[in-house]
Amino acid sequence: MRLSDISHAAFKGVTVNAMRSLLTMLGIIIGVGSVVLMSSVGESMEGVILGQISSLGPKSMVIFPGKQEGGAQGVMAGFDSLTFEDLRELEQLKSIDKLAPVIFITGRTSYGREEGTPQVFGVDDNFFKNQNISAREGRLLEKDDSDGGKAIAVLGSDTADKFFGSINPIGKRIKVGNNHYTVVGVAKALGSQFFQNADERVYVPFSVARTVTGQKYLNYITMVATDSFDLAFDDVRSLLRRRHGIDTSLNDEKKDDFVVRSSAQANEILGSVSLGLTLFITTIAAISLLVGGIGIMNIMLVSVTERTQEIGLRKALGAKGRDVLLQFLFEAILLTMIGGVIGQILGIGLAFVIALIVKNFLAKYVFAISLNAVVVSFFMAVATGIAFGISPARKAAALHPIEALRYE
Amino acid sequence: MTKSLPVLIELQDLCKSYMNDDVVTPVLYDINLQIAKGEFVAIMGPSGSGKSTLMHILGFLDGYTSGRYLFQGQFTNTFDDNELARIRATRVSFVFQAFNLLARTTVLENVMLPLLYHPSIPVSERVSLSEKAVKTVGLQDRSSYLTSQLSGGQKQRVAIARALVTNPDVIFADEPTGNLDSASGVAVMQALQKLNDEGHTIILVTHERTTAEHAKRIIHIRDGRIVSDSTDFKRVIAGETKNLK
Repeated sequence: MRLSDISHAAFKGVTVNAMRSLLTMLGIIIGVGSVVLMSSVGESMEGVILGQISSLGPKSMVIFPGKQEGGAQGVMAGFDSLTFEDLRELEQLKSIDKLAPVIFITGRTSYGREEGTPQVFGVDDNFFKNQNISAREGRLLEKDDSDGGKAIAVLGSDTADKFFGSINPIGKRIKVGNNHYTVVGVAKALGSQFFQNADERVYVPFSVARTVTGQKYLNYITMVATDSFDLAFDDVRSLLRRRHGIDTSLNDEKKDDFVVRSSAQANEILGSVSLGLTLFITTIAAISLLVGGIGIMNIMLVSVTERTQEIGLRKALGAKGRDVLLQFLFEAILLTMIGGVIGQILGIGLAFVIALIVKNFLAKYVFAISLNAVVVSFFMAVATGIAFGISPARKAAALHPIEALRYE
Repeated sequence: MTKSLPVLIELQDLCKSYMNDDVVTPVLYDINLQIAKGEFVAIMGPSGSGKSTLMHILGFLDGYTSGRYLFQGQFTNTFDDNELARIRATRVSFVFQAFNLLARTTVLENVMLPLLYHPSIPVSERVSLSEKAVKTVGLQDRSSYLTSQLSGGQKQRVAIARALVTNPDVIFADEPTGNLDSASGVAVMQALQKLNDEGHTIILVTHERTTAEHAKRIIHIRDGRIVSDSTDFKRVIAGETKNLK
C-alpha cells in the first residue's frame, strides 16, 4: 500500500466521525494551545522587561540605600545610609565615571490651576547622560545650573503635556512645594523605567534640591563604569562597606546597607525568570500532552474494536499487517497534528487578544509569538500521536482476518 | 470435474482442527479435492459442517493443521503472512454474506478498495478498472451513491464488483444470498453465473439448494468430510435429502 493511500485512508478514518475526532483532540488542543499562549505572553513580557532594563546602559549601575532583602522595611532600615561623604569618596574611584546623585523633593507641583504630583528629582547634568535623556524642547540641566543653584526646571514629557497642553512651557514658572522654578526645557519621552513612568517627572538642579530639602543623605546615585563593569562594581561595594564599617570577610550582601543594581544583574534575574517560565510551560505541556495522549490511545483502542470487521475486510482484500498498522498509526498522528494546529491557532489568537487588552495598561507590551514554542509543541504533539497510537495500531495489525471478519 | 482445464486448487489429505484451552476440536478430515480453472463449484452442507472453514482455507484466510494445499501447483504451507496477503490481493477475492462494505463510503470507493493493496496495478488505472467492474454488475448509475443508500441486492452486487476488480483467479462467495430476498438472491447468482461464463472460477459456499443450483459442480460436506462431489445436480440433491433423513 502506498504512503499516499495510507494517509488518505487515515484522513477518511478521522473525518468520517468528525465530532468524536474533535473531542479526542481536545487534550492536545488545550496542551498545545496553552503552551503557545503562555510562551507568547512570556515573550511579550520579556520584551516589556527588557525595555525597562535597556534604559540603563550595559555599564550603568545604580546604588540605592537600604538592605538587599526585607522589602520596604529593608529600605527604610537604611534609607539615609548614602551620604555626601560617600559621594565624595566614590568620585575619587577611577573605575567609575559620571556619578549622578539624586535627591527627591516631595510636595505638590502646580502651574496656575493645574496641579499634580509628578516625581521631582534633584539631579545634575550627569544624570541625563547616564539615562540617555535628551531634550524635546529647550535644554536639559547643565553643569553650571547646579553650581549656580538656579531655580529652574526641566519637565518630563508627560508632565509638560499635562500642565501646559499645547502651550510652549519654556520660560513659564511652575511651583513645587513652596518654591517657584522657571521651565527651561522638556525631556524627550522615555516610557517607563523599572515599571515607573519616567515621563511624569520634574528635574531641578541637584544643589537646589539639597538646599530646599536640607537633606543630608542621597536617595540614590547613578554612575557608569569607565572600563570593566565588574571592577567598578567591586570597587564601589568595597568602598561603601569600608566606609559603613560592614564586615566583608564573608562577602555577605545581606549585611550591606546599600544595594547596587545594574542592567547586567537585571538581565541575570530575567534569565532565571525565563528559565523558570520555560520549565513551567514544559511541565504544563508534558502533563497536557500526556492526558491528551491517553485520550487518543483510549479512543484509538475503541476505534480498533469498533472497526474490527473493517480490519478483517481489509486483510481479506490483501492488506498486510504493516498496512493496517500504518493506517491506524497515521490516524493517531493525524489527530494530534490537526489538534496541534488547532491548538496553535487558538493559542496565537488568544495571545493576540490578550496583547490588545494588556496594551491599554502596558504600552510597551507587544504581541509576540515564540516560534520555538510553536515548532516544539507541534512536534511534541506528533510524537504523542506516535507514542500513544502505536499500541492500538499494533493491536489492529495483529488481528487475524477470519476472527476480525466474524467479530460482532 | 472438468479434466481438460488446468488444476487451480488441489487439496491432499487436508485436516483442520481448532484448539481452545488445550481442547482440540477437529473440523475437517482428510479432504481431497481438485478444482480446475473456470469451474463454478458450490460447497454445500448444513450449519457446522465445516464448509465455511474449507472456504477460508482455500481463500488463504485461515491455515490448516495437516495435509497439503497446492495453489496453481505450488505448495502453500511455506507462505508467510506477507505472501498470504499478497495472494489475497492478487489471486483470490471474496463475496461475504454480510456484504462487508465500508460505511459512509461511495460505491466506487468500495470497489476501488482492493486496488489499494494490489502491488502491480498502477494508480492511474484504479478509477477506470473500478468503473468497469461497477458497470459489469449494472450499477454504473449508482457509482457515487453511499452504500447506505443501496438495497441489499445492490450492496451484494457492489461486493461482487469489488471481488472482480482485481481480475482474480478465483472468487469465493460465502452465502452470498443469505441476507437477500429471493428476487435479489437470483439477481446476485445470475451476476456470478455471468462472471463464470466469462471465465472466472467461482467457489460458492451455501446451504440453500436454490443457490447451489447455479453452480456446475456441487461438493457436499458433512461433519468435516466430503460426502459427495458431482456435476449431476439431481444426484447430489437426492443424496443430500437422503443424508438429511
